[in-house]
Amino acid sequence: MERTAVVTDSPCAIQIRGLSKTYKTGFWFTPKVTHALKTVQLDVYENQAFGLMGLNGAGKTTLIKLVLGLLRPTAGSVAVLGGNISQRGVRQRIGYLPELPYFSKQHTGRELLGYFGSLHGLAGSALQHRVDEILDLVRMRSAAGLKVSGYSKGMLQRIGIGQALIGKPRLLICDEPMSGLDPVGYKEMRDIFIDLKKAGTTLFLNTHILDEVERVCDRVGILHEGVLKEVVPISKILESSVPVDYWIDVDGAEAAKLSGMPFQETVRNNGGVQVSGLVLAETLALLTARKAQVKGVRPLSSQVEAYFLKAIGAQAHLNRPIGGRRP
Amino acid sequence: MKRVLAVTAFTFRELIRSRLLFVWLISVIVLCGLDFLLSILSFGSTLQIFMDLGLAGMEISGLLVLLLGLAVTYTTEMDQKAIFLHLAKPLTRGEYLLGRILGFFLVNCLVVLGMGLVIVGLVVFLGGGTVPVLFYECVVFILLEMFVLTTLGLTYQMIATSMVGVVLYTFFTVFLGQCIGEVQWLLNQQLSHWVKVLLRVVYYILPNLEAFNLKDRLYDPNLVLGWAQWQDILLYAFSYSFVVFLIGWINLEKREFR
Repeated sequence: MERTAVVTDSPCAIQIRGLSKTYKTGFWFTPKVTHALKTVQLDVYENQAFGLMGLNGAGKTTLIKLVLGLLRPTAGSVAVLGGNISQRGVRQRIGYLPELPYFSKQHTGRELLGYFGSLHGLAGSALQHRVDEILDLVRMRSAAGLKVSGYSKGMLQRIGIGQALIGKPRLLICDEPMSGLDPVGYKEMRDIFIDLKKAGTTLFLNTHILDEVERVCDRVGILHEGVLKEVVPISKILESSVPVDYWIDVDGAEAAKLSGMPFQETVRNNGGVQVSGLVLAETLALLTARKAQVKGVRPLSSQVEAYFLKAIGAQAHLNRPIGGRRP
Repeated sequence: MKRVLAVTAFTFRELIRSRLLFVWLISVIVLCGLDFLLSILSFGSTLQIFMDLGLAGMEISGLLVLLLGLAVTYTTEMDQKAIFLHLAKPLTRGEYLLGRILGFFLVNCLVVLGMGLVIVGLVVFLGGGTVPVLFYECVVFILLEMFVLTTLGLTYQMIATSMVGVVLYTFFTVFLGQCIGEVQWLLNQQLSHWVKVLLRVVYYILPNLEAFNLKDRLYDPNLVLGWAQWQDILLYAFSYSFVVFLIGWINLEKREFR
């Protein structure tokens, strides 16, 4: 896949300086303070795709809401497209897709897009033309006349991305854009992002789907417990030497040959062993020496996932069996 | 202004297509039926009673639709966070609030005028009577009252943290607003200084809904509304609504959406 080079002297689409957010909850006598974000510094460059990764509750959505002006910072500042988010001109050039967008159920998809288009100043035939363009882009033309109440989760997500794109944004901010999408929708959404990036739209994707980050983003920020641990080009992650776990498939009849393996982490009697990438070569050599029939070797995690887990200090995660990927 | 009108049209469509209008239709049928029954039971001046009760019915159905609309849209906009999508667009929060108020008010106009038409139709075509000019003036007064209450309700929606809160605040404001005459009476009584200060605060903060109550004097032969009275009521309705709108706007600007 074509990747744009990370040019750090590009103008900033989002410039965050010393951003902190504290939530105060509870009653007068039992106040509880939660530090959602702690002194975040971040530059998101124009014409690039930036991925913000983090576990649930890391502060990703809080960061997006602060960028959009839906929350006010406790400290620090945010500049968006060289201005303040409260300026109409700045918001005119931004598209936003919230996590699991919710729409008034009484409208059709076409009406919703028309409404959001009119908020961007579109009217008449220009609005209708743009709505049709968007409906085609998100593949919702056939369902455009149906009320939103009859839409599936994936269709809502498509209309959600449609309303975000209706004003031809220079900066597109998406909070978990792949939520609720089936594999086809997932691929289509990813293709939309790649096309937008090629067209020069800056993307800010808030996600914990690491595959999406790897395929779309140029730079990645890792947010953990309100702290931006690091910001790194994706190319650097892919070239990094962070070990990835592998699953070695061995013929089930030869499972006995797996016992007493020096580097094994998990062994299945039906044939297989999980090892770290650091000892993959040694393990394979040992299995060959024992004349075990190796049927295949497959990575259990991606490079991005391994890097992410290492960055947030989740060593335990590196060693745990990864259920979804287990053969 | 185009953006305000877009929000108005959006809100209007949202309310019209929701089940609110079924509730309104049922309330029209029930109120008109009750009205008809009571006017038959009253001896003489049947049409007079019918119109009198009809005006009360218009006010009640308008209020009912307002309260239900506030409850329904609070769930969508605030609880389900649909408001995020509006506020992230190139739309000021003041424009959003104004658009919502106008959308609600348009629906209220439809509800009140719709019921008004039914009543006029029944009086003229079935009863063979005539409708006095004051009846139409009463309808305008009810619409002005609805405008004030709509602004208050939507402002509460921007301030309150729950749907129940919005409905209760609006309901009690209506209830207390109807009691302004009693507050005025209390102010003329021998009471302690602090009680009077408190009553005065209540008097000025609450909407004076008594001022919009023309229907009780529908057949007052001495009542003729002149330009001065119209000026007073229009000025009061719009200035009160404007102040409430400003409070709602400031609150919405300050509000954080977690």
